[in-house]
Amino acid sequence: MELFAEFFGLLSVLFFLVLGYGFGRWAEARHYRSIRKREEEFHDLILVCCKTVPESLPTSGSQMVRGSVVVSVDYFKRFVARLRMIFGGRVHTYESLLDRGRREALLRMQAEARKLGATMIFNTRFETSSISKGRNRSVGCVEVLAYGTAILP
Amino acid sequence: MEFKNPKVPEGINVSRHSPLYDLFLLGLGTLLLFAVLGFAALFTGSLLGRHAPVAWERAVAGVILGDLLTEAEARRGPVDAELQALADRLSPHIPLPEGLEITAHYWDSDEINAFATVGGHIFIARGLVERMRNENGLAMVVGHEIAHIAHRDPAASLGGGLLLQALTTLVTASGSEVPEELIFGPNALLLGSFSRDAEREADAAALAALAALYGHVTDASTFFDQVLGFPEPPELLSTHPLTRERIDFIGRTAGEQDWSLQGETTPLTPELARLADGG
Repeated sequence: MELFAEFFGLLSVLFFLVLGYGFGRWAEARHYRSIRKREEEFHDLILVCCKTVPESLPTSGSQMVRGSVVVSVDYFKRFVARLRMIFGGRVHTYESLLDRGRREALLRMQAEARKLGATMIFNTRFETSSISKGRNRSVGCVEVLAYGTAILP
Repeated sequence: MEFKNPKVPEGINVSRHSPLYDLFLLGLGTLLLFAVLGFAALFTGSLLGRHAPVAWERAVAGVILGDLLTEAEARRGPVDAELQALADRLSPHIPLPEGLEITAHYWDSDEINAFATVGGHIFIARGLVERMRNENGLAMVVGHEIAHIAHRDPAASLGGGLLLQALTTLVTASGSEVPEELIFGPNALLLGSFSRDAEREADAAALAALAALYGHVTDASTFFDQVLGFPEPPELLSTHPLTRERIDFIGRTAGEQDWSLQGETTPLTPELARLADGG
């Protein structure tokens, strides 16, 4: 019966893989729908990476704006990523995690800028950090912070 | 200067790659890798254990069975003596390695079980003796455990287990990213497969010893008949062959070897008979 107990561990992995895949896919599709919709809404709020504001641009002031988001990786993605780390290569399963995190952080920053009545954000920057390390130091959650200088017209 | 937000096309930062395909390919690769490594560790460890000097086996037994043996020795009574006498009568029919002797112990437990361990020690549970009708049924179990000792199975199992454990610890404790379940899964299958082969060989040797000692193999399947119908895991996940298969093996071998299944059985010796009658 001891061997059966060993296989119980394998069954629990399968259970969480199915759960993670199913729920993760659903949550991701839902998030992407929301991201695309809000990106349309904020399309006219210009994001610029330049550090300096051109003198020709009329401004009444500026203020720092930021948007931050914490996204957790699901069991399935983490499992596949851990396997990928044995053999090397592109970690496809984490790409969408970071893509969602960056786009969501930008949107939150844009939302804050819009509240201030800004039409442009200069010096847009990102910071990404993993804030929770799971078992074996694998990535659990990532925080993405977007910040910049909102230009008030 | 004019500024605008270009619409970034989808699929640049996120590849259109099936995560299930990734899981399948990487999972299969990892499983195969650790199945091969696990097999190598188990095979080498078993080989080393099986061929280790008998003196080493006895020394290891003294270390890992220390308390168990001290307690068993302190409780040694007439039942142990009768089990030992039965083992002594069977031993000449199952050639033992030089320097390894059988020590039979009575194990006061309800379990319908018996086991052999390193150093030539075999343990027979009360629950098992209670279910025996005659000496022949019990002799099959004792013979089976003696055969494990003769084949050096406990030493092989210890060697294989140690090396497999070393491999597992090496992989998991190194902080590597390998999911532990992918190592334990193939290992469990390998251990089961190694163990089932050893059980079949022990059954065969015990049956031959019974035929040599009594002139027939009547009631050799008593133990299996008693546990038939008990819940069993699927054979692939078990350390033992299925009970039904073992009963069939006895019948088939008896037919092939022309060993009678209808001989006159030998009654249990007094102390063992008292246990079998319910104390």
